[in-house]
Amino acid sequence: MKTWSKFTLASLFAVGMATTASADEITVYTALEEEEIAAYVEAAQEAMPDTEINVLRLSTGKLGARLLAEAGNPQADVIWGWAVSAMMDPQILEMLEPYAAKGVDVLPATFRGEDGKWFAPIGYMGAFCVNTARLEEKGLPMPKSWKDLENPDFKGEILMPDPNSSGTGYLHVNAVLQTMGEEAGWAQLEAVDPNMAQYTSSGSKPCKSARVGEYTVGISLAFTAMQSIEEGYPLAMVFPEEGVGYELEASGLMASSDNKDAAKAFLDWTMSDEAIDLYQQYKALITVPGVDASEAAEKAGLPADISTVLADIDFVTAAKNQTDVKATWKEKLGR
Amino acid sequence: MSGVETMTTPARRQLDANRLLTLVCVGLPLLGLVLFFLYPMVVVFLRSLTVDDGYGLANYTRVLGSTGFWRATEHSLLMGAATTVLSVFLGFIIAHGLYRCAFPGKWLIRGVIVLPLLAPSLVQALGLIFLLGRNGVISRALGVEIDIYGFWGLLIANTLYALPQAVMIIGAALVLLDARVYEAAEVMGASPSRQFRDLTLPAARFGILNAAFVCFTITITDFGNAAVIGGDYSVLATEIYSQVVGQRNFNMGAVVGIMLLLPTVVSYAIERQAMKRQQVGQVTGQVPYRPSFAAVRDPVMASLSLLICAGIVAVIGIVVYASFVTLWPYNMALSFKHYDITLAGGYSSLWMTIVISLMAATGGTLAVFLLCLGLRRLPRSAAQSIQMLAAVPAAVPGMVLGLAYILTFNSTATPLYLLYGTAALIAIVNFYHYHTQGFLTVMTGFRQLPKALEEAADSLGAGMARTAVDIIAPFIAPMLVSVFFFLFMRSMVTLSAVVFLTTPDLSVAAVTIMRLDDAGLTSQAAAFATCLMAVVCVALLGMKATLTLMGRRNRIKRPV
Repeated sequence: MKTWSKFTLASLFAVGMATTASADEITVYTALEEEEIAAYVEAAQEAMPDTEINVLRLSTGKLGARLLAEAGNPQADVIWGWAVSAMMDPQILEMLEPYAAKGVDVLPATFRGEDGKWFAPIGYMGAFCVNTARLEEKGLPMPKSWKDLENPDFKGEILMPDPNSSGTGYLHVNAVLQTMGEEAGWAQLEAVDPNMAQYTSSGSKPCKSARVGEYTVGISLAFTAMQSIEEGYPLAMVFPEEGVGYELEASGLMASSDNKDAAKAFLDWTMSDEAIDLYQQYKALITVPGVDASEAAEKAGLPADISTVLADIDFVTAAKNQTDVKATWKEKLGR
Repeated sequence: MSGVETMTTPARRQLDANRLLTLVCVGLPLLGLVLFFLYPMVVVFLRSLTVDDGYGLANYTRVLGSTGFWRATEHSLLMGAATTVLSVFLGFIIAHGLYRCAFPGKWLIRGVIVLPLLAPSLVQALGLIFLLGRNGVISRALGVEIDIYGFWGLLIANTLYALPQAVMIIGAALVLLDARVYEAAEVMGASPSRQFRDLTLPAARFGILNAAFVCFTITITDFGNAAVIGGDYSVLATEIYSQVVGQRNFNMGAVVGIMLLLPTVVSYAIERQAMKRQQVGQVTGQVPYRPSFAAVRDPVMASLSLLICAGIVAVIGIVVYASFVTLWPYNMALSFKHYDITLAGGYSSLWMTIVISLMAATGGTLAVFLLCLGLRRLPRSAAQSIQMLAAVPAAVPGMVLGLAYILTFNSTATPLYLLYGTAALIAIVNFYHYHTQGFLTVMTGFRQLPKALEEAADSLGAGMARTAVDIIAPFIAPMLVSVFFFLFMRSMVTLSAVVFLTTPDLSVAAVTIMRLDDAGLTSQAAAFATCLMAVVCVALLGMKATLTLMGRRNRIKRPV
C-alpha cells in the first residue's frame, strides 16, 4: 500500500509538472488510423506550436465506451475522426458543443450535423476482402456483389462483423438496407446467411482472417484490405456492385473542455488547406467538394471517381434506425 | 485463535498487541478491497438499475426476457464446466508430477507451464489459429481442414489459459505435504495407489476445489478467447461486449456483468460447503517430501506433463517464429522487418509496464499475505464474509472492471479522483483483477500450515508479528513467490481492464500490441509481443536468481 501511495504522489507531481510545462494543452480522442494520426498531428503541432496536442487512439467501439464512462467528468477536449453513426448517439451529442470550424461551410449539409455539433471532411469505406489464393484453391468464382455471395459454393467461406458488436457490421447492413430497400435488403442478408461462417465482434477481423487464408471472403474495411495488399497478402479488394457502405469520420468540440480556444484552433486546423492536402495522401474518401482523392485512391487501386462504388447513404436515417435495425438483425440472423 | 483460550495474565499485553495486529492485517487489505473492488462494483450495480426515470428493474427484465441471454448463459456454464474439468484434471497431473513424483527435467515443465500467463492474449489466439486453424500448420499437413472455431477451439484456448492457474493452486496444496505421513504409510504396507487415494487426494482437496473455482470463474468471464476462436459460440462476456462496445448501452451491459457474479457466488458457496468436512491443516511440523522414483508412475507422469508442455510451446513458439517470417503463411522467408516498430509509440511503453507490474506484484503479494494471516485469527463468521469478498473479483470481466474504475475514480466527488490517470491506478486494477487467484493460492498454502507450529510459537511467547515473520512467512514463501510472479506476469500482459485506463501520456505494452493489431500490423504486434515475453522472462529469471541468492544466505530449506 505504501509503495502505491508514494508512487501516486510521484505521478501526481509528474502530471502537475506536465500541465505547467506548456502554455496550452489539449486532449484529443480519435479512432483514425495510427499512420495518419502520426502525420496529421505532426503537421498540426507545427501549425500550433504553443499547444501540446495529446492524442488517445482507440477503436470506434472502445472509444465510445470510454467517452460514455467518462461522461460524468469528461477528459477529452476534442473528438476527432470518429464514426458519425456513433457520434449521433444522443448520449454523445449531449456532451458536444456546437462549433463551426473555420472553413467548415464548404462541406455539403449532409456532412455536417444539423445542430453544428459535428462535421466530417473525411470518411472510410467498407469492402470485401477476397483471398485470391484460397479462391483459386477452392475453385470459386470472384464475387462481385452481395448477390454473388448467395452461391452455395461459398458455404462456410464468408465472415462478417456482427452489427450488434461492430460499427463496421452496421455499416454493411445499413448499406444493404438503404440501397435495396427494407424488404429486399433483409431478404439479401438472409440469403447470404447460410454461407456465413461466423459473425465476428471486430470489424477488421474478417479481413485479417481472410488474408491469412482461414476463410475466402471477409466482409470488412477497405483500409484493412489496402493495408494487407500493400503488405503482400494474396488479397483482392472488392466493392459490391450494389454499392458499398461507408462511414463519415466526424469531429466535434466537447462542451466540458476547459481549453476551448486551443480545442477550437485544432478543429480549425482539421479543415485547413494543409490538413486537406494531407487527407489527399491518406484518405480515399474526402467530402470536401472539389478535392479529389485520386492520389490516395489510385495508390490503393480504387477507381478515380470513388462515388461510382459508394452506396447512397443517408446518415441521419442510419443513426435514427440503428437500434431497430440491430434488434431486427439479432432476431433474424443472430446466432 | 486456539492459543488464546489458555492465555494467562502476564501475556495480556501480548494479546492486545496481537489483536491490534490482526486488525491491521485484515483492515488494510480489506480497505483496499472495499475501495478498489466493492465500491466500483456498487457503482456498476447502480448502473444496472438505472432506467430513464430513475431506478428500477426494467433492465433486468429486458435482459432476462431475451433469448440471446439464455443461450449465452447456457454456453457460458457449459464452457465453464468443461474447461474446469479439463484444466483441473490436467493441472493435477502436472502438479502431482512436479511435487510428488521423481523425474528429471522438472525445471522445464515448471518454466513452460507458466508461458500462457506471460503471453499476451493475441499470442495465444494467433498461435491456435496458425496451428489448428483451417489454413493452419496441422490442417495443411494433414490435408484436411479442421474447423476449430466454436466449442472445441474455445475449450482449448480457455484450458491453456486456466491450466497454469490450476497448477499454481493445486501445487500450493501438494508442495507442503509431510513426508513422515507417507513414510508411516509405507511402513504399514499401504500400496502407492492407496497412499494416493487416502493421503494425497484428501490433502489436495482444498487446492483442487479452489482451482476448480478459479478455472470456472475465469472461463465464464473471458472475452478475448471467445472473440477470436469462439466463432458463433456466444457467451456472456461477448454479450457484455456487444451491449457496451457495440451498442453503447452501459446499463444493459452492467446487468449482464452483475448476472455473471451469480454463478461465481454460488460455486464459491458450494465449495465452502464441501470444505467444511475437511480436517484443517496438519498436526505437526514437517519433513519435506522427497519423492523417490516409481517405475510405472513416474515415466507416465513425466510424459503426460511433457506432452501438455509441448502443446503450450507449440502454440506460443509458432507465433514467435511467425514474427520472424516475412508474410505468414505465404512467404516463409525469415526477416527482422516486423521488429522495426515505429507506430503506436514503438517500444516506449515496455518500461512503464515493468514499473506498473512490479508495483502490482509487490503490493498485491503483501496485501494477500496480510489478509490471509489476519483471517486465520478472526472469528469464523467474520472471516467468511471477507473470504467471499476476496474470492469474487475474478468473476468480474476485465472490461467491466476497467469501465467501473472510470465511473468510480473519474469523479471529483472523492479524493480518490487523484488516482485517475496515474500508473498507480493501473497497478491497482491489475492487482484486483487477479485478486482471487493470489488470495486462494496463499489460502491454500496456509491450509497446510500446521496449527501446532503457530501454537508452539504463541505459547513460547512469540508475538503474532514475530510468528508471522519467523514461522509463517518462510513456510508460505513458495506460495508468496508464485503469487508474486503470477501478478507480475499478468500485469505485464493483461489488456481488458487496462485499455480503458490508459491516457495519452501513459500507455502499457498490451495496449501497444492492441494498437498495432488494430492498425492491421498483426506481424508487428506479434514481434512486439515476442519482445514483451522476452523481457518478462529475463525479469523473472533475474528475480528468481535474486531469490535463490537470498534463500542461500538465509539457509531456509524449502521443498520447492
